[in-house]
Amino acid sequence: MSQVQARFFTENKKYLIDDVPFSIPAASEVTDLSGVINKLLEAKNDGHKHVEFDFLVQGQFLRTSLASRMETENISTEEVVEIEYVEKFTAPQPEECVMHDDWISSVEADSEWILTGSYDKTARIWSMEGKAVMTVAGHTDVNLYNGLSSLLLTASLDQTIMLWEWNSERNKVKARHCCRGHAGSVDTVAVDPTRTKFCSGSWDKMLKIWSAVPTEEEDEIEEPNRPRKKQKTEQMGLTRTPLMTFSGHNEAVSSVLWMDAEELCSASWDHTIRLWDAETGGQKNTITGSKVFNCISYSPLCRRLASGSTDRHVRLWDPRSKDGSLVLLSLTSHNGWVTAVRWSPSHEHQLVSGSLDNVVKLWDTRSCKAPLYDLAAHEDKVMCVDWTENGLILSGGADNKLYTYRYSACVLDAGA
Amino acid sequence: IGYGRGVFIEITHRCRTRFKVALATSENFQLSAVTSVCARLSQTKKSLFSDQSSAWFISSPSCVMFLWRTVKWAVSLLVFITFSVRSQDIRNTVGNIPMEWYKDYPHIGYDLDGKKIFKPIRNKDELDEFLDKMENPDYWRTVQDKMTGADIRLSDEQVDLVHRLQQGKFGDVNFNEYEPAIDFFSNEVMIHPVTNRPQDKRSFIPSLIEKEKVGKLVHAIKMGWIKPRRPKETTPQYYDLWAKEDPNSILGRHKMHVPAPKMKLPGHQESYNPPPEYLLSEEERLAWEQQDPEDRKLSFLPQKFACLRAVPAYSRFIHERFERCLDLYLCPRQRKMRVNVNPEDLIPKLPKPKDLQPFPTTQSLVYRGHSSLVRSISVSPSGQWLVSGSDDCTVRFWEVSTARCLKTVEVGGAVKGVAWNPNPSICLVAVSYDDTVVLLNPGLGDRLVCTATDQLISSYEEPEEVMDQSVQWAVAEGEGHEQGHRLILKHPKAVRQVTWHGKGDYLACVMPDNGSSLQVVIHQVSKRRTQNPFRKNKGLVQCVSFHPIRPYFFVATQRYVRVYNLIKQELTKKLMANCKWISSMAIHPGGDNVICGSYDCRLAWFDLDLSTKPYKVLRHHKKALRSVAYHRHYPLFASGSDDGSVIVCHGMVYNDLLQNPLIVPVKVLKGHTITHDLGVLDVTFHPTQPWVFSSGADGTVRLFT
Repeated sequence: MSQVQARFFTENKKYLIDDVPFSIPAASEVTDLSGVINKLLEAKNDGHKHVEFDFLVQGQFLRTSLASRMETENISTEEVVEIEYVEKFTAPQPEECVMHDDWISSVEADSEWILTGSYDKTARIWSMEGKAVMTVAGHTDVNLYNGLSSLLLTASLDQTIMLWEWNSERNKVKARHCCRGHAGSVDTVAVDPTRTKFCSGSWDKMLKIWSAVPTEEEDEIEEPNRPRKKQKTEQMGLTRTPLMTFSGHNEAVSSVLWMDAEELCSASWDHTIRLWDAETGGQKNTITGSKVFNCISYSPLCRRLASGSTDRHVRLWDPRSKDGSLVLLSLTSHNGWVTAVRWSPSHEHQLVSGSLDNVVKLWDTRSCKAPLYDLAAHEDKVMCVDWTENGLILSGGADNKLYTYRYSACVLDAGA
Repeated sequence: IGYGRGVFIEITHRCRTRFKVALATSENFQLSAVTSVCARLSQTKKSLFSDQSSAWFISSPSCVMFLWRTVKWAVSLLVFITFSVRSQDIRNTVGNIPMEWYKDYPHIGYDLDGKKIFKPIRNKDELDEFLDKMENPDYWRTVQDKMTGADIRLSDEQVDLVHRLQQGKFGDVNFNEYEPAIDFFSNEVMIHPVTNRPQDKRSFIPSLIEKEKVGKLVHAIKMGWIKPRRPKETTPQYYDLWAKEDPNSILGRHKMHVPAPKMKLPGHQESYNPPPEYLLSEEERLAWEQQDPEDRKLSFLPQKFACLRAVPAYSRFIHERFERCLDLYLCPRQRKMRVNVNPEDLIPKLPKPKDLQPFPTTQSLVYRGHSSLVRSISVSPSGQWLVSGSDDCTVRFWEVSTARCLKTVEVGGAVKGVAWNPNPSICLVAVSYDDTVVLLNPGLGDRLVCTATDQLISSYEEPEEVMDQSVQWAVAEGEGHEQGHRLILKHPKAVRQVTWHGKGDYLACVMPDNGSSLQVVIHQVSKRRTQNPFRKNKGLVQCVSFHPIRPYFFVATQRYVRVYNLIKQELTKKLMANCKWISSMAIHPGGDNVICGSYDCRLAWFDLDLSTKPYKVLRHHKKALRSVAYHRHYPLFASGSDDGSVIVCHGMVYNDLLQNPLIVPVKVLKGHTITHDLGVLDVTFHPTQPWVFSSGADGTVRLFT
């Protein structure tokens, strides 16, 4: 059996081994290599516990035997192979399953609370343990969410976005503002990093920027039936009008996000992703795809856009590149439209995607052929996914269930 | 004069003249001898010697021999001449000059002592000459010496020599010209060599030059510069004289010759002495005679004769020959030319479906909820909503992107047709069931548009004179209004299809009925008016459609599609579908092309500018077509059939009128299950994306992207 010279290295100080080349069998696979590393670590310090490792050859995860990998990558077997090893990401553990009354259209979570929007025209606040804390009912149609701790935003098919103030001690919500101006269902909202503004995208092809600061004054609106409006204000909050409107998309805007405080990114059904200057409203860049974009996500860690579209692929884009229609990477494993995609907030290589084929997949960009894990808990279409900073993956779908998974990717960062 | 192995002889003209001059001063015989030599040389070997050319290279051995002898003789003669000149010719010393120069002088030259030599006194006149000639018997042998002017009488020897020379013989009597030849240089190897010279070394060592030459050749062969000669083909080559023969030429016709069929050889029956079983009995003979000549099995009666001598002349001989000639003449004998065509070449060259993207390829969403077959679907102009009408007496509104049923409206019967108003500023859906058409406001989409639509409907004012209409208009109230019903149109008969005009004000309804002229009605929603555009019944109407741009109205009956001009109120075109029963029809958004689906599995594409016959008929489905649809922007059309499949075709219509539409089937979409022998009932395209919706008898609507 042929032997290969390999040098192992890691970023993780905890699992450091000597920087010398080892001769290992070429046919060895991940488990064999993991055993080797564990042996070495045991020899080094007695109190070592067995840890599963994953191995990266030239920045890509090793999934087959080392020999076949080196053959496909055209690595000479004569030289010393540099193999990086990281602690194996353990599978996300299912934690909670929260039942809703209707399809869950969106989910957003912070470290304490989970906010979900549902097709039963309500938004709900849940605690991390899955307890229903609050139900926000005000919309006449399907809901979307966006939370900013005590201030909540809900956007709806009834063309309005509502800004709620939630007092968590007293557990009361109050509608502060009703944002009117869209002429189609509002499909997406995003709050800017400074939390003073938010942007909404709608079926009417428009992007609108609104102020997210609650005030006591109502924006002026020319409405003939003023008295009725007053009466309504008690429930619906004060009417608010957009600060700015961006038009440029030829079809419905499906997803919008803030790249930073000055830059907006929107995906649309017209097969484009556009970058906007939030101050001037000018278009900065256009990425053209070949399919309708359902969702986008941006990771400030790796500065990449991930998009899910009405085909089976999750595509990664570089928003800064000038030739905007170049796909960096296609992650293909889903069988249906990709409806939701979300980068990990803590790991620059990982993202999670949900699809109409009922599966949520956890991806690592270093292993683009196959996802790290398939989370096949849903019984119907997955509509939304989210990923909190404390390692919780959430997914909601058309089976009325919100699943949460605990993911221990942070082990790596803790060690590093 | 030189000689060697090859003899080189040079005799110059000058030299020869000098001989003459020299000889002229010597004795006569010597002169004649030299003349004889020259004459002999020039006479015998004319090919070798000529007066002008002066050099020859002689290699032939016999020639060399002759020359050798001649030259030997000439040399001896020369030696002799020189000797005699030196000894005798001392009378005149002027040398070789023309003697005319001394014509006017009394002397003729100078002797050895320098004394003048005087000319002899010549006082003879003509008469004296004559007398001398007559009287002197030696006159004929007397010649004048030009050098001295004296008369010389030639001796007998000299005369003999002149005679010999005149005869072309050698001057010397003793010279034998026919001496036997000695072959000094023969090809035979002699015992004694001609020369005693030892053999050269180079004659017995291999030649270096040759070695070098051979080496060069070997190198050239090794390098491939010199190729070995091809072996001669031993098989004889024949030239095919008729290889390029034109089969239509006369010779070609011979090639195509079909020989005349041979006559059957005579058998035993024809024999003059047939075996008895071949002879006819009496009854057979009678029967034979009674038969018509055409029906007879045998054209003759077998007869028996005692001997060949007794056989009479064949009475029908001329007759039979004539018939044979007639047969040969009248029977066409021609070889049929078979055209060899590769069947692959007959298939038209179509672009690959891969190059015609985008088109729907996979099933993406299934809209489940209906409990019975879904007869009709329609997409909102914005592409966000989908409406479906089913036999379970409900109309459902769906969100396209999620397959979420947003609204279910119950109506009072199995829904036959739904149609979303194409005008984006109006939010209305026409639903037909039984004999009723309901205009629904689904309340989806822009809120302002919905309320504006409601206001538009409620703002209607009754006109003063109430027209007598076949259709009753009623405003929905109560629970129906809550559900979204706005206007209810009661028709006299069951309504099968509803379709909107592109502007969204006119609504056409089809009530198929074979016996009545009231089959199609056109409603104007804003004025709540109904009109029946046709007075006559032209057949069972299947479906109708408005032209997308111009005021034309398409009516499909069982076999024809009629195109009416609504302004002029006349029939403009009648399209022959070439099928038994049209089921559905769709108009290209450009307005110049129509597709018709029929129950006999065909889809006919009409180019209205081209012809009233189908430009192309596609038979891709295995069962009856139920629905056809065009995409509004993409060059796509789709057809749904009872075999449960939707076939998407690329149908590119060019602005160039000279270019025919390009039709390429690109995808068969399967997904619907066949229930009650029904598959896909309706297909429609998404207004902006290359997506196709299909509704089926299995109660589902499916989206293919």
